[in-house]
Formats: sequence, structure tokens, C-alpha cells
Amino acid sequence: MPSLVILVLSLLVLPTGLQAQPTDLEEQLRAISKELRCPVCQNLSVADSPSEMAQQMRALVLKQLKEGKSPEQIKAYFVSKYGEWILLSPTTKGFSLLVWILPFIALTGGIIFVLLVARRWVQRKGESRPSEVDPALIQRVQQDVSTERVWEIDPEIEGPRAHLLNEQARLYTELQELEFDYQAGRLSESDYQDLRPRYEAQAAKVLRELDSSPAEAMSKKRPHRAERQAKDAGQAQNGKAPSRRGWIFAATGAFLLVFGVTLGIFLSKSLRPRGSEQDSITGDFLTGTGPGGLSADPGMRRADLQSLLTQGHAAFERQDWSQAIDAFKKVLAIDSDRPEAHTYMGLILTQAGHVDGALLAFNRALSTNPEYPLALWGKGMVLYRDKGDLSGARQNLQKLVSLLPSGKERFEVQKTIDELTNRQATPAKSKQSVTNPSRIEGTISVDSKLKAKLDSGDALFIIVRSANSAKGPPLAVKKIDRPVFPLSYSLGPENMMMSGRPFGGKVNVSVRLDRDGNALTREPGSLMGTYEKNPVEIGTQGVDIILDQVL
Amino acid sequence: MPWRRILLTLAVILPLVGVLAFGFSRDPRYIASPLIGRPAPPFTVTLFDGKKLSLADLRGKVVFLNFWASWCPPCRAEARDLEAVWQRYRDKNIVFLGIDIQDTEKEAFAFLKEFQITYPNGRDASGKISIDYGVWGIPETFFIDPEGRITYKHVGGLEYPIIVAKLDEARRGLISAKEGKGAYQSIR
Repeated sequence: MPSLVILVLSLLVLPTGLQAQPTDLEEQLRAISKELRCPVCQNLSVADSPSEMAQQMRALVLKQLKEGKSPEQIKAYFVSKYGEWILLSPTTKGFSLLVWILPFIALTGGIIFVLLVARRWVQRKGESRPSEVDPALIQRVQQDVSTERVWEIDPEIEGPRAHLLNEQARLYTELQELEFDYQAGRLSESDYQDLRPRYEAQAAKVLRELDSSPAEAMSKKRPHRAERQAKDAGQAQNGKAPSRRGWIFAATGAFLLVFGVTLGIFLSKSLRPRGSEQDSITGDFLTGTGPGGLSADPGMRRADLQSLLTQGHAAFERQDWSQAIDAFKKVLAIDSDRPEAHTYMGLILTQAGHVDGALLAFNRALSTNPEYPLALWGKGMVLYRDKGDLSGARQNLQKLVSLLPSGKERFEVQKTIDELTNRQATPAKSKQSVTNPSRIEGTISVDSKLKAKLDSGDALFIIVRSANSAKGPPLAVKKIDRPVFPLSYSLGPENMMMSGRPFGGKVNVSVRLDRDGNALTREPGSLMGTYEKNPVEIGTQGVDIILDQVL
Repeated sequence: MPWRRILLTLAVILPLVGVLAFGFSRDPRYIASPLIGRPAPPFTVTLFDGKKLSLADLRGKVVFLNFWASWCPPCRAEARDLEAVWQRYRDKNIVFLGIDIQDTEKEAFAFLKEFQITYPNGRDASGKISIDYGVWGIPETFFIDPEGRITYKHVGGLEYPIIVAKLDEARRGLISAKEGKGAYQSIR
């Protein structure tokens, strides 16, 4: 024991004893960086870490050394920035002192505990020599135990012999249980042979002491106890005796169940598959850290969305179209149904003069939110100013008026509607703009059974072929990207494949919803439709086509 | 006798469980900053456009000081939000300042271009500024009130609402007792 103490003490003292004052600057730098923890590593000192941060910290230490600062001052500087955490070995002051002392307290406690337990073992071995006990008493014990009687510890009995009687009852019960276990095969032969003589010896000792002490004080309690024992014996025979062993099994089972469930919940909450290089497997429940990596996290993308929209609005207000398009495109890549983004795209396209594209964008916005005011306004104005579709414009704007709260905006919209109504009242002029003799107009819809086959990446081709020549290139083709059905279209000379030919006469009109947007290839799965009353005269309105065939 | 044994067992097991619970519920990489509520360490940084900027010149304004690197994923994640807030609050006596650390100039430039960042940014090539601020996980953001005190520190990616809320607290000089922690940080 003393040698151990010396060993522990020498281990404690030696390192500090060996610490000589380094003279060289390099040595000083190394000594200080050895004591500093690298903030971006795991349990590495600044001296040992190859990280950029550690390099910068070493450079800073060297600089401060050159400025004439003492190692203590330099360490204090780092502590003032990072807290005591930065020191690899905690200080020997305040709470940190515990870290230094506790292991030795625990070690000393452990040694004392082991010594005590060992001593008790040795003592037990010595006292349980059955040979010291009178064989006659052992025989009596064996006789007592072999009866059916239940030996019960009775806390109520008083007097000098009380503890002896209780001890006797305890030992007899143990012996009975031992015998039972052995018979039931729950106890090995060697254990039985080892334990039985030991208990018998102890019980014999108690018997001897009981015999030598007078029995007068117990007499009044005796009958009562005997009565109860008789009753208990009867119960035991009926198999109703409370089983302690059963309770222990039940408690152990319950504990294991609770433990298992807790462990299951705890682990599933605190471990997760690594999402990316930067991710760690622990998190959420344990450390409060969410999943890492950019790609998989929908929350991150949601957050991105808001700032992208803000960025897009700002760019739109600055009239920086390309940046605005960029931002809204990114929004649509994350959430393809965002009405706000579609609407702004529509507004930008209107500015650029792409009327059809703008209309499509507004329709997309309204298909997710039919009451989105800005889209209603955009669509209404495009129909009114660029398409001359006064009734369509009116319909949209009137819906907008019904949604807007009364105020300046609503007043403006109402003014536009009034203006529109005035123009509609002079039908001669406006009708002419609608019924254009060199156009084909109508709507395109999808057969309700084929709606499931629609894909957001589809492109729609409206193909006009001359009724006289079935071969060769079509007369005119119009492509509509990402169409929203039902869709109204208008096809005119600007859609002709070859200029120079007249756009007139009888034609066949068909439509194809193309999977890859390439007019020259026909993919299986593309939807087709032809006008029922082909051929038609150019200038016909109401050329309504239903997409009802699958390629 | 059994009671004594149970008590003894509990006396040994409970402190052990306590120590384990304490240890497991903490992020071992997390370093609490002693700087919150203290004056922000002064520095001068050369911006990417060649101009020099001193923290002392910004006294009287709320300063949003963000340490970042082009290689760090959470910095990329928060970049758009930062620019969006800056666009919105640039005229409200608030200065955004980005400090690029542990990075190369070329990659930093590409980052600024990619996210169209318009607020001033500089590079801390020696690491002196980041060490002065006790930076360990990137990105780290410090909110500095008009009197030059650090009111809040955030480790990890930031999002629009919290930036706005913390800027407002900094404007009023309110110091957050606890530092914030983003969804995740990057360490190199």
C-alpha cells in the first residue's frame, strides 16, 4: 500500500519537475502551442494540428513572443477569446480543480472498497467451517427443515431471544429454498454441497445459543405465532403462498422492458444516417444539431425560397430583368407551383413582348391559386391590351375587383373595366380585331381519361397542314411550352414554316403534346388530337381540339 | 439490509448516470464565447475592392459581422438570406461586413459573384481577426450595437427572420445571454 501511494505521488510530481524553462523562441512556441487546444480539431493541440487555423494560431503566438509577451500573457489572451476551453489541461483553480482531484478520490475509494470486500470474504471463509459445530445440532437442524412447517420472521416479537428466533427462521427458510431449488434442478450439485453445510452450521450455532438462553419472555407471543404458522402452512399447501421469486421476475421483466423502450426511443432520436460529408451521425435529440448538407433538407430549401423571392422582387423593382428571371427560375426549380414566381415571370415576359408566354405564366399561377390578385391583373391586362380579348379581360378584372379591398388599387382596376366596357360598346371596331380572316383560333383540352398522362415538361405543337398535300412540311406550327389545359390559342401567318407561301385555303389542324419538346421526333406516350371537322377554312374560329389519342 | 444496499447502489449509479447525461447532451465541439456583452475587438480589414475599413469607423451603427469561407456549405446556404436582408435594411443605419477566412482570394471572389453579394467584404489572410473574435465554426456571426458591444453571436447558418430580429435587438443595445446555434456548422 505505501509503495502504491509513492507511485501515484511520483506520477503526479514528475512532469512538473521535469519542466524546465525553454530558452529558445522555437521551443517556447512549441511549449505554448502544446498547451493550447486547436479549436477546429478533436483533442489535438495547436502544436500537433496541421489545420490552417492552428497554423495561424502558431503564427500569432510567435508574433506575441517576439513582442516580448510572457507565455502566461499569451495563454491569457487565448483564454479571453475562447474561454478556458482553449487550454488542453484545465487550470488547478475553482471548479476545474475538481477534475484534477476527483480521479484520485475515486481511485482511493475504489482501493478501500476492494480491500474491505476482500477482508469480508476472507472472514467468511474462516467462520463457515462446519466441523466446529456439534453434529447432533446439525441433525436437529436437518430434522426441523425437513418438516412442512413455514418458518416466518416475525418483527413483532420482543425480548432477548427475538433476534435469535428470527435468525433461525431466516436460515431455515434459506435451507428449505435451497433444498427446493436443488430438487428443481435450479442449483448445481457443487453449489448445493457448498452452501448447505454452511447454512446448516450457521443454523446449528443459532440453535446452540437459543438452547443456552432462557425462554421465559417469549411465552406470551408463542401461541399467537404458532397459530399463524399453522394457517400459513395450510395456505402454502393450497399453493397460495405469496411468491417472492415471482415478484422478482416480474420486476426484472418490467425493468428490462422500460430500459429497452427508453433505449430504442433515445437511440432512434439521437442517431441518423449521415446526410453528407459534413454531417454527423449524432444530432437532434442529443446535441440539438439538425442535419447537415445542402441537398436533402427541405427546410433549408424552404428558407432559400423566401430569400430568393425577396431577391427576385428587389431585382424586378430595379428593372434588372435578367437577375429577376434568374431568381424566379430558381424559385420554380424548388417549388414549381409557386404562383408568385409564375406571376412575376409573366410580368417580365409581358415587358419583353412575349405575350403568349406571359399568358401561360399567368395561367400557371392561377391554376394553383385562382384568386392570386397580381396574376389576375396581369392576365386581364394582357388580354385587354395585347390580345384584344375584351370579354376575357373583363372576366379576370372583375374577379380581381371582387377580391380587392376598397382603395386606390380597386379604383384603378374599376377604371380599367369601365374603359373596357366603353370599347366593347362599339362592337364594329373591336369585333374586327377578334375575327381575323387570316387566323385560326380555338381551344385545346385533354380527354379526362388521359389527364394522368400529363407531364410538366411537355410541349404542345399545333400543326396546320394544307388539306391538298398530306406530305412535306406543315404549313404552320405553333409551339407552346409547358401548356396549361384548357388552353385557348390563336395561329396566324407569323407561325408559318416557310414565308412566301400564302396562308389561306383549306387546312387540316392537329395537335401533339410532345414528351421531349422536339417536333421532329415522336415519343411513345405523347398525346395527339385532331380537329373533328377537318379540313377547315383559315379564318375559322372555334377550332376546338381534344387531345384523345396516345402514341 | 436490502434498503441499505439499494441506497448504496443508487448512490453509485445516479452520479454516474448524471455525468453521462451531462456529457451526452452537450456538443463536444461547441465552444461558449466569453465575448458576448463585451466591446468588440477592434480591427482594420482590406476589402476586396482595395479600400480599408476599420471597425472604429462604424461606431454609431449596428454592425453585422459575418465570418465565412467559400468552401463552407452553411455559408452558401445563408448567403442569399444575408444579401436579401442587406438589400432591405442597407439604409437603416446598419452595416453588413463579411470577413473571409481560411480561404483563397480566387474562390472567395467566385463566391461573392455567385451569390451577387453587394455588402462590403474583406479577407483575413493572417487569421488575426478571426482569432480575436474566438471564431471556430464557420459561419460565425457577431451582432455589434452602435456603442461597439457584441450583443449576440451565432454559430452556423442564419436565416432571414432571426437576422432581422437580432439586428433590431442590437439597434436597441439588448444583449442575448445565450449565443445562437444554426442548423449546422462547418469546420475545417
